[in-house]
Amino acid sequence: MRKQERRALICVLIAVVLLAGIGIFVARFVKDGGKWATFYGNSQIYTDGILNRGTVTDRYDEMLLNCTESGVEYNSDATIRKATVHAVGDPKGNISSGAINAFKSQLIGYDIINGTYDTSAEGKKIQLTIDAKANAVAYNALGGRTGCVGVFNWKTGEILSMVSTPSCDPAGSISNDAETSYYFNNFLQGAMTPGSTFKLVTSAAAIDKVDNISSFSFDCDGNNEFKGTKLKDVSSHGHVDFRSALAQSCNGAFGAITRELGAKTMEEYVEKCGLTESIEINGIDTQAGSFKFPDDDDVKLSWAGIGQADDQVNPCAMMVYMGAIANEGEAVHPTLIKSATFVKEITGGRPLGRYLSKDTANELRSMMKNNVESNYGTSNYSGLDIYAKSGTAEVGDRSDSWFVGFIDNEDNPYAFVVWVKGGGFGSSTAGPVAKAVLNQLISDNE
Amino acid sequence: MLAIYILVSSIISLLRTRPTPEIWGYFLVEDGGNFPLTHWENVIGRSKSADIMIPLKTVSKNQVILCRREDERWMIKDLGSKNGTVVNGVPLVPEKRYIVDVGDEIVISGVHCTIAPASLEEAANNRAMRKGDREPVAPWKILLAITAFQAMTIVQLTMALGSDITATVVLSMVALCVIMWVYVSVFKALGRKGFEMEMIAFFMTTINLAVTTSARPGDTFKQLVAMVIGIALMIFMCIYMRDLKRTRKIRPILLGLSVLLLLFNLVFGTMKYGAANWVRIGSMTIQPSEVVKLAFIVIGAGTLEELYEKRNTILYAAFSLFCLGCLALMGDFGTALIFFATYLVVSFLRSGDLSRMILTVVGAAAMGLMVLRFETYIASRFAIWGHVWDDPADKGFQQTRTMAFGAGGGLLGHGAGNGSLKYVAASDTDLVFGFVMEEWGLIIAVLLVLCLVTLTIFAVISIIAGRSTFYTIAACGAATMILVQTMLNIFGAVDLFPLTGVTFPFISTGGTSMMASWAMLSFFKASDMRRNASLALRKEE
Repeated sequence: MRKQERRALICVLIAVVLLAGIGIFVARFVKDGGKWATFYGNSQIYTDGILNRGTVTDRYDEMLLNCTESGVEYNSDATIRKATVHAVGDPKGNISSGAINAFKSQLIGYDIINGTYDTSAEGKKIQLTIDAKANAVAYNALGGRTGCVGVFNWKTGEILSMVSTPSCDPAGSISNDAETSYYFNNFLQGAMTPGSTFKLVTSAAAIDKVDNISSFSFDCDGNNEFKGTKLKDVSSHGHVDFRSALAQSCNGAFGAITRELGAKTMEEYVEKCGLTESIEINGIDTQAGSFKFPDDDDVKLSWAGIGQADDQVNPCAMMVYMGAIANEGEAVHPTLIKSATFVKEITGGRPLGRYLSKDTANELRSMMKNNVESNYGTSNYSGLDIYAKSGTAEVGDRSDSWFVGFIDNEDNPYAFVVWVKGGGFGSSTAGPVAKAVLNQLISDNE
Repeated sequence: MLAIYILVSSIISLLRTRPTPEIWGYFLVEDGGNFPLTHWENVIGRSKSADIMIPLKTVSKNQVILCRREDERWMIKDLGSKNGTVVNGVPLVPEKRYIVDVGDEIVISGVHCTIAPASLEEAANNRAMRKGDREPVAPWKILLAITAFQAMTIVQLTMALGSDITATVVLSMVALCVIMWVYVSVFKALGRKGFEMEMIAFFMTTINLAVTTSARPGDTFKQLVAMVIGIALMIFMCIYMRDLKRTRKIRPILLGLSVLLLLFNLVFGTMKYGAANWVRIGSMTIQPSEVVKLAFIVIGAGTLEELYEKRNTILYAAFSLFCLGCLALMGDFGTALIFFATYLVVSFLRSGDLSRMILTVVGAAAMGLMVLRFETYIASRFAIWGHVWDDPADKGFQQTRTMAFGAGGGLLGHGAGNGSLKYVAASDTDLVFGFVMEEWGLIIAVLLVLCLVTLTIFAVISIIAGRSTFYTIAACGAATMILVQTMLNIFGAVDLFPLTGVTFPFISTGGTSMMASWAMLSFFKASDMRRNASLALRKEE
């Protein structure tokens, strides 16, 4: 019998296999439970394939989306619906950055202990950081053109405005084709030619790496021929130094600076300024930018240094960079979900890393102020302590307008980015959009 | 909380069991010391695994077996040794049984041996030691806990299902509770002490009734009836198996019945969920393979004596092959796999030097047969295995739902009757693990698995003091069957293994499954050697 007794241990072995399997499953359960539970086939939380619980509001508790057993309800104002759809999402889930998609498990109130169980069966309320009214203002200011507006608090990281056009009315009839252009969020998913706004990166590199940049000078003749190519400017800037080169956005001068910096340094600085990395915003990954700085082609390198050539930047990353300049070089992680604000306001947002040294950031800040004072006109932005850089990106025959920067205001420390496709001259098209949104944000915050 | 208390206390009680072997006498070997005879069945030989080892070249590896008879005398049988065995001067004819008594002279290949009785003192000692065994946990507290749990389940179901709850459903639950109390009271009055296994089974049955009620309220009563039949069958089997001679005698009948049942199934079977393993009789459908499972274990188990009989081994191998063949024809891959695994384990336990060959050959043939038969079927199930999330609308439909709804249950569950998985086909059978996760939570679902694992480990622990290999093999066979079945059920539902569509013992809805699960318990009860614990043993004074 001893033989049989010993062999009986094989049953223990089978039991161990069973337990191991259960162990694997429990591990997966802990890791992926939220994903499983939010699966669209789960009729606990979906009615006819549409989430049946959960509410999304803006930062001032304005209802943006309310999912119920009987269907989905959106804000009553059509403009607000269109202006916030990229943050809120469409009922079919085509907008990947929408809360209805991205924050699904928070929306249904999933947690590992209770699963999707919810005594009220109303789901959870998600308060977004956006200001719906300001979004609507931004949407109107874009005036039907393709573009995007992004504003965030460079101290706390809260995104106050995120508008992308073209947009759609989620309460109206919408396309079934997920590839439809209005499902695309230009602000988070886009990557476009930055034009002159990129000179803020080149400037940062120059402040750090070029000896005696303050004594830099360049004579701009408007054509600035270099090796047979014209680094053309709108007009002849004449004699410029470093500060006025940025204010005038002198291509010739920045081409020369870029050549002096070299490809390696440029690569280092796009990385340092966070433009080549994807940023994770509450689980949503932004598009990473991409740049090419050839070290064997001075002409192409010059173009790349002034934000043309193959430069592709993501608007959100640009906004975060603006925030870093405002925040003495320290970048703050952007967020879309409002949480325990009290702690956040005191300690600031989650740091994303140091982009620039304090001195460099402050020098850039002063140059950006100079841009406004000497070029864009302080009176155009009355009431706003604004620091900015405009851009006009040449894309084929088209010129895209950019206006990026920040305002310094104790209660409203906002960094912004505005991009208008085919908008023409940067400061005159994108600038007013930024101004309108910022003013609305400030008045809403009073 | 109650559930956790019930399960944990039963599990702990079972796992703490350390049975003391009984000593039936001593086997004295000239110049070789004396060996206590702790089993009813012993092998004597040169082999290291022999119960009584005589390390002399002249002795055969497995020379003789010595078995205790019901009348307390000993039976001796030579297994065809090289140098022969002589008792009281009479040479034993190989493969023939002889009676030996205490004091008789046994010469094993020239080595003089004899059997000495256990002294009176020792016998008393023996009894005292067994009395000193850890007493099984008193069932009353657990019973009360289960009753409270059942009451809460009824309340919860009523709240969740409202008008779907009929009087029959409530009465069925109450009846379950009453039966449980009656069962324990009656056997307690008869002097039995060990009820942990039944407590676990009653608890699991409660979950079963709740699952059934939630998924199809009309069937609750049917489940109850199945349970009653199952319990009756278990009691009958326990008592019947006390007498091994009797059990061995009935085996050919069981074998014949099983063959007939399977053939009947093949001819009259109806397709259900892709496998023709159902037989419809009037309004009732039964699954003959569930019943055959029980017979399969009885037929596979054998006393030590039988393990050395070629005829017995061949018979078992042939029967296994027949069962697998029938299941293959029915297209029931899951059950075939369970039978095959059980066959492997049982043959591993059985295979002495003689029978290993036959068993291996049959094993290989069975495997080949299964692969051939299920080729296309397996291919399609294997194709989606591990990728169910890639095709949640079709091939991965059931698994993805199981995981999604199960995850929705979290650790604590939505409460009995509140689930949504019930609207998915086979949710209360093949996908019942997800069902329990959703309504009862992951903790209870995992505890249910631990219950079954406990039964197994208990069986393995207790056979150390086992009387016959019959009980050892039967308990291990039953354990394998239950474990593999649970494995296939859970792993299939959560995409750790291709979905095979077998039931979760005790938990899945289905009359035959419930019946078989309870009856299967008798094999564990039979291996429970604690004093007066199990009704499968005659009562000791």
